[in-house]
Amino acid sequence: MSKPLIVGAVAYTPNVVPIWEGMRDYFAGTPAEMDFVLFSNYGRQVDSLLEGTIDIAWNTNLAWVRTVAQTDGNCRALAMRDTDTVFKSVFVARTGSNIHGLDGLKGRRLALGSQDSAQAAILPVHFLDHDGPGADAVDLVRINSDVGKHGDTGRSELDALRAVLNEQADAAAIGINTWEAIGREELMPGALEAFWESPAYSHCNFTALPGLPEERMEPWLQHLLAMDWDNPEHRPILELEGLRKWVLPRLEGYESLFEAVKEQEISARW
Amino acid sequence: MVNHGLVLDLVERLGGVARHGTVSVPLGEGNPEQLRDTVAAWCERTGNELVEMGDGVATVRRGRSPDPVAELAPDLVPGTRLWIYTNFDCNLACDYCCVRSSPQTERRALGVDRVRRLAVEAVAAGVSELILTGGEPFLLPDIDELVDACTAVLPTILLTNGMLFRGRRLEALRRMDRSRLALQISLDSATPEVHDQHRGHRSWERAVAGIRIARQEGFRVRVAATLPYEQSHELGPFHAFLDSLGIAPEDQVIRALAHRGFADHGLEMTLESLIPEVTVTADGIYWHPVSADHDDHLVTRDIFPLQDGITEVRRRFTQMRARSTAAAQWFPCA
Repeated sequence: MSKPLIVGAVAYTPNVVPIWEGMRDYFAGTPAEMDFVLFSNYGRQVDSLLEGTIDIAWNTNLAWVRTVAQTDGNCRALAMRDTDTVFKSVFVARTGSNIHGLDGLKGRRLALGSQDSAQAAILPVHFLDHDGPGADAVDLVRINSDVGKHGDTGRSELDALRAVLNEQADAAAIGINTWEAIGREELMPGALEAFWESPAYSHCNFTALPGLPEERMEPWLQHLLAMDWDNPEHRPILELEGLRKWVLPRLEGYESLFEAVKEQEISARW
Repeated sequence: MVNHGLVLDLVERLGGVARHGTVSVPLGEGNPEQLRDTVAAWCERTGNELVEMGDGVATVRRGRSPDPVAELAPDLVPGTRLWIYTNFDCNLACDYCCVRSSPQTERRALGVDRVRRLAVEAVAAGVSELILTGGEPFLLPDIDELVDACTAVLPTILLTNGMLFRGRRLEALRRMDRSRLALQISLDSATPEVHDQHRGHRSWERAVAGIRIARQEGFRVRVAATLPYEQSHELGPFHAFLDSLGIAPEDQVIRALAHRGFADHGLEMTLESLIPEVTVTADGIYWHPVSADHDDHLVTRDIFPLQDGITEVRRRFTQMRARSTAAAQWFPCA
């Protein structure tokens, strides 16, 4: 048996453990066995990837951008979830608030999630600058409740929504996964409505460095892509991780975040 | 007035627990029915399970309860096999008999009409094998007719002590369908001592003779031993003896002694510890054949329709497993 590939992931929920145990079991007995290491934040994970402690990192989009920055582009995205290729930010407000589009936010209070959340802070500011009145024209209310997780817990996004419901903000920018998790407009009739959705962008990916030999990486990647939603043994892992299919990365989906990081002068390191 | 923060609380609180874990979320102010509907709708939409509502709190499970029936191996799913107690009287009085059979025990026979109806309904209910037991089924004068009603529709196993294969009973055996029927004969040891100690003087010799007769008559014969749990690892000589009788390895069955019926010791058999095997007697449907004479394992007095009995057994099994899973979560070791 060859040495297993070590995959890093951030433990933002207890379910990260069964997800990665399931992944490890799925690869067991194949030519591309893997094990996993859990980190408490993405900064530590990317450091470990660069140091060679792990072979592959399951990175958020910001962690990917920072890895690219720190390696001068000498890194590779291997695969992502189908849901990572069509991620969006959603701007929501109280129902009947009559905010129409991003321009409607001019002079109003917009609650943002954690400062390192691409979907709930960095990209919303980018969209305000490019598709709206400019971030300077909006009163930004920053809610940094889960820094280091890049919004993976969604806690700061929920706090941003609470701020809207408690009339401490006029609107909130959240990830579409949080919008789906609360049932969009349907479960809280009369409470919240979406008034703008961003273009689709890419979210998480498996990141590796050039030092990972092709003959070790390729069998692992092919076996990953072979996970099957219709296979009852694979399905629980896919459901927990929030995808139906692993796909090859859509790199153009990171362009908006690269621009945003540059414009907002977000550092390459944590 | 609706507590709009309720859904946010659900997302946040449930996000912090592991799959199948539960969390209690205060409902806050509002119309109780509306709040319940909101929680139920959120659970439905997100694939989680509303466990209960009460005292201003909703208890929600992350994901849905695993279906314990679906997790069983296919041959263990309750209702895959149907056990039928044809009668309870017996020519032996084994000191560990789990259903207290003996020559003095009341017959409590199901009768051929009910057995025939059970066999037909079993097919419709998805049963794939019938197992006839007692008491000693060969005490029944119409045992061949009864067996025929079963083998006409499904593969069948007939449990017997094998001691009565003479005269009209041997003739009855000869009329049975060898292609659809296997006999399971009880034998506890490779030599007479252990077997006779529990089952009576010379019973071993007659059982072995019965095994030979059944094989000579062309029947597939399984042999089942009932042993105290602590002896179940010392089986080499026993298996060698059964090999010498021509019993296939897969037909050599070892059962642990159960603390049921006449037995004064053995494995404890509770509803919680037994995967059910639907068992029909003249007195009703029971959880498992090892407890078919014990009211604590009675599922229903209604034998028909059989499908209802099978459904009820599965429902109770699912409920029981869910309860024990929840209890395991409530009593962590540290």
